[in-house]
Amino acid sequence: MAIVERPATPALQLPPGAAVAERPLGVFTRPTATTGWRSWLTTVDHKRIGIMYGAAALFFFFMGGVEALMIRVQLTAPDSKLYSADLYNQIFTMHGVTMIFLVVMPMGAAFMNYLMPLQIGARDVAFPRLNAFSFWTFLFGGIFLNTSWFLGGGANGGWFAYAPNTSVTFSPGHGMDFYALGLQITGIASLVGAINLIVTVLNMRAPGMTLMKMPVFTWMAFVTQLLLVFAIPVISVALVLLTLDRTFDANFFNTAAGADALLWEHLFWIFGHPEVYILILPAFGVVSEIIPVFSRKPIFGYPFMVFSGIAIGFMGWGVWAHHMFASGMGPISVAAFSMSTMFIAVPTGVKILNWLATMWGGRITFSTPMLFAIGLVTMFTIGGLSGVTHAVAPADTQQTDTYYIVAHFHYVIFGGALFAFLGGFYFWWPKVFGWILNDKVGKWQFWLTLIGFNLTFGPMHILGLQGMPRRQHSYKEGYGFELWNHVATVGAFIIALAFLVFAYNIIASWRAHKANPVNPGPDPWDSRSLEWMLPSPTPAHNFDEVPTVSHLDEFWHRKYAEDETGKVVRVATSEEAAQKGDATNVHLPSPSYWPLVLAAALPLIGYGLIFSPAFAVVGGITVLLAAYGWGLEPADDPEAHHAHAAHDEHDEHGDGDDGPGDDDGDDSPEPKDDDDGEVVAASVKESSDDE
Amino acid sequence: MMREALARRVVRLAPVASLVALLSACASDAPQDTFKPEGPIARDIKNLATPVFLVAGVVFVLVEFGTLVLVRHFRARKDQPEDEFPPQTHGNTKLEILWTIAPAVLLAVIGVFTVITIFKVDAYADDATMTVKVTGQQWWWAYEYDTDGDGKTDITTANDLVIPANTMVKLEVTSRDVIHSYWIPRLNGKKDAVPGEVHELSIESDDVGTFIGNCTEFCGLSHTYMRQRLVALDKSDYDAWVANQIEDASEPTDDQAKAGAELFATTCSRCHLARGINDDEYEKAGSGDDLVSGPGPDLTHFATRGAFAGATFNLWETSDKNDIVQWDEIGKTLDKENLENWLRNPPKAKPMDPADPDTTDVGRGMPDLNLTEEQIDQLVAFLETLD
Repeated sequence: MAIVERPATPALQLPPGAAVAERPLGVFTRPTATTGWRSWLTTVDHKRIGIMYGAAALFFFFMGGVEALMIRVQLTAPDSKLYSADLYNQIFTMHGVTMIFLVVMPMGAAFMNYLMPLQIGARDVAFPRLNAFSFWTFLFGGIFLNTSWFLGGGANGGWFAYAPNTSVTFSPGHGMDFYALGLQITGIASLVGAINLIVTVLNMRAPGMTLMKMPVFTWMAFVTQLLLVFAIPVISVALVLLTLDRTFDANFFNTAAGADALLWEHLFWIFGHPEVYILILPAFGVVSEIIPVFSRKPIFGYPFMVFSGIAIGFMGWGVWAHHMFASGMGPISVAAFSMSTMFIAVPTGVKILNWLATMWGGRITFSTPMLFAIGLVTMFTIGGLSGVTHAVAPADTQQTDTYYIVAHFHYVIFGGALFAFLGGFYFWWPKVFGWILNDKVGKWQFWLTLIGFNLTFGPMHILGLQGMPRRQHSYKEGYGFELWNHVATVGAFIIALAFLVFAYNIIASWRAHKANPVNPGPDPWDSRSLEWMLPSPTPAHNFDEVPTVSHLDEFWHRKYAEDETGKVVRVATSEEAAQKGDATNVHLPSPSYWPLVLAAALPLIGYGLIFSPAFAVVGGITVLLAAYGWGLEPADDPEAHHAHAAHDEHDEHGDGDDGPGDDDGDDSPEPKDDDDGEVVAASVKESSDDE
Repeated sequence: MMREALARRVVRLAPVASLVALLSACASDAPQDTFKPEGPIARDIKNLATPVFLVAGVVFVLVEFGTLVLVRHFRARKDQPEDEFPPQTHGNTKLEILWTIAPAVLLAVIGVFTVITIFKVDAYADDATMTVKVTGQQWWWAYEYDTDGDGKTDITTANDLVIPANTMVKLEVTSRDVIHSYWIPRLNGKKDAVPGEVHELSIESDDVGTFIGNCTEFCGLSHTYMRQRLVALDKSDYDAWVANQIEDASEPTDDQAKAGAELFATTCSRCHLARGINDDEYEKAGSGDDLVSGPGPDLTHFATRGAFAGATFNLWETSDKNDIVQWDEIGKTLDKENLENWLRNPPKAKPMDPADPDTTDVGRGMPDLNLTEEQIDQLVAFLETLD
């Protein structure tokens, strides 16, 4: 049984005799481009969407980085007046919002979108047009948010935007409106993407891939999506209430009218704490892929890695008020959240120890990805330890709102998530683009990043414990903050240099590849998971035949086996075990304009709510038309050419080639009769589920 | 290879360097240092925090150095054949359970002491022998004392919280506008000032002294410039201070100051009260009730404070190495430059969002009143008499 039955109503059937429909339903003719810039605008290919997420994230990282340098320059010397306090408040607010929502989240999305379908042996995600919609919505939301700079000033209430300071009385001007509406829009992108990836993981795994045979990265991505599904609605509600207060004179956060000023804090942090696990879990997944490869051993304690990720996901919901220890909650609440916060360190500690145990007894190669992965292990540990000190609530009443907290979260987000993603870029670059980033230059980047990062944020621990508050435009001479602020600024510029080196590496490696094109092959690192079974760059159709999975680290087991003594012996080379990528006429989801159009309409509504209802009307109508057009557009373009005869040769029944070395292959044409056989067979047919 | 060896040496020196840095940090004298308690509550917090930091430090050393040793020991060596693999260990359930339970037990122990301290700190308010109402507003702190216990405020002051030393004081912290946070690091952790709520924060200083703090919840434009001072006095000085604060201000005798008092009554009464000087004008102007965050600071005994404008600017010259005006310096040499600078153009001196003073619009903070230099001199002379 297919996931969704194809409708058999006459209206949607092609008239007999006609090879193609005259004009498919929907206003525009279906795009068909597969190359050129137009093909990127209309793509529904998860790989291209992943690349676009990555590029956009790096672009916003540049913006957030400039904002960071502006902060550091202002704080180098005491009583500095480089920028006004008002501009400074905008800069630090936008820095936080940009880095969290427009950099780390989309960077994670880049990896999850590109890799997850490959790692489960699928051709794409469950809802490809929805996937494209997620990307464009995120991009337009991020751009919308940043147009605030030109339209009256950036958001200035802090990334956490506490009410009542964000009300119109205390934040006149449009900055906070851009904040509320911009994050509302990007929230839609995340929520919709989460539903998409959850359905994909649950329904589109290759035959034989049970949940406990999925790579750790896919597991962490999966838990992240589940967190998003429940966390994003909370911030969406909070932002709706804020918009109602600011734009429509509601009183949700108006204490004079009887509101509870802490309502916003609770709503924000019920979202905000799971949010930080949303930031870090994909990075944990990346590191869990890199370390085994460069230690030449499997991940230590796979079930514990999976279950600790799940535990973090669950426990993350029970700790939010540790951001509110000083908010006057009362000692019972404080004690409860203090305890729950302490215990969430346990599953994280398990992961750190498992990574170390993976390296233990291994043969470690210090490639650039491995250096960054070890970087996460060491830097995240520091952030995690300072986190445990925050859990001690009385101590936190001294630490909160000081630079000690700033140090903590930069160690876990930058030292954790960003280090992992940088390693991930180096690791998967050959797979994505078909050429390798120079490893030597990569090492320079790593060391510069590590040193710059520690020089910038290490001293902030000291500054915070010496009483330097955060979100401060300047500090007075005589407080003892000068030395470490100087050091931190120097460190920040070393980080900037490190990223210039990264940019240089991308350009120089590309040039080197152009001058001397050498394909890295499907498996430059001798890796373990299914994406390395495909040529580099990944062909548009992903797998020639969907593989049947019988092991965790399936690809590894197609290259190696263990003999009677337990010694690892090679049974096939990477090239032999990999697919050729030369399948033709594989049916792929058809490109579409509608996701782009619908996504572009959302900021219009935003501008309408801020400036003039006319925009909102135009935006609203466009949303309706786009949704209508999208809904009536066939999931597959009936004009898309594919020979029906060739179809039979394809893996319609989910029992693809098992590759050499695997003796329990099943070459029968019947659908596989395992637990999820029925569903898998239908999904492997074509990603043609109506959306 | 050379570079790797050098890198390794740097990495090995890093812990030594960071230890040196940490120790040097401890040696420095930061007036808001949270690890230099000068009161019992801050000391309780430090006594809890210190062992936790030590445990964290031990874990840090074990994990970081463990990692460095581990990766060095198990690095792939040139002499090992490429196709030879290390033992493909998949896991060890016993070890997993051990290193799940052991940290949990350790954290549980820390948790027990934490909860004990949470309730201990919270209970100090019950031992308090006096109460001060602390109200935050953009961008300064107001203090109200009910010294005779009749339920009515007897003293309204700002910026400097004056209390007797060696006495447990209960602060009732609230806000008139957005969320602020009251913090004197040397004496206690912070407590948020939330509009519509009153939160208790206990505070006690071992000895006489002057302590400083910041607003520590982002509250808008001048969050940076919303600071506070706490002055702990011995009993006799405190009693004298109370008696003085309760009195109205006396009319100045000096001509320039007299002119300043008149100017004050006509120009400043919309927001400021100096009891005994402009009571009628203040009441007629609405007692500041129509302003966004209520009236501005009560200035009756302005010249008994060490700093002004949200404790951002020193009112008196000081020889203190951290630039903190000490109790015995109050009333000595006026820091004329600071005060004149402020009166000349308050929004320029401290970022605020005031309304045009020639209109009835309400804004936040003190506007530029376009005072002439002569008027400024008169006001300064007058303000100095408010002791």
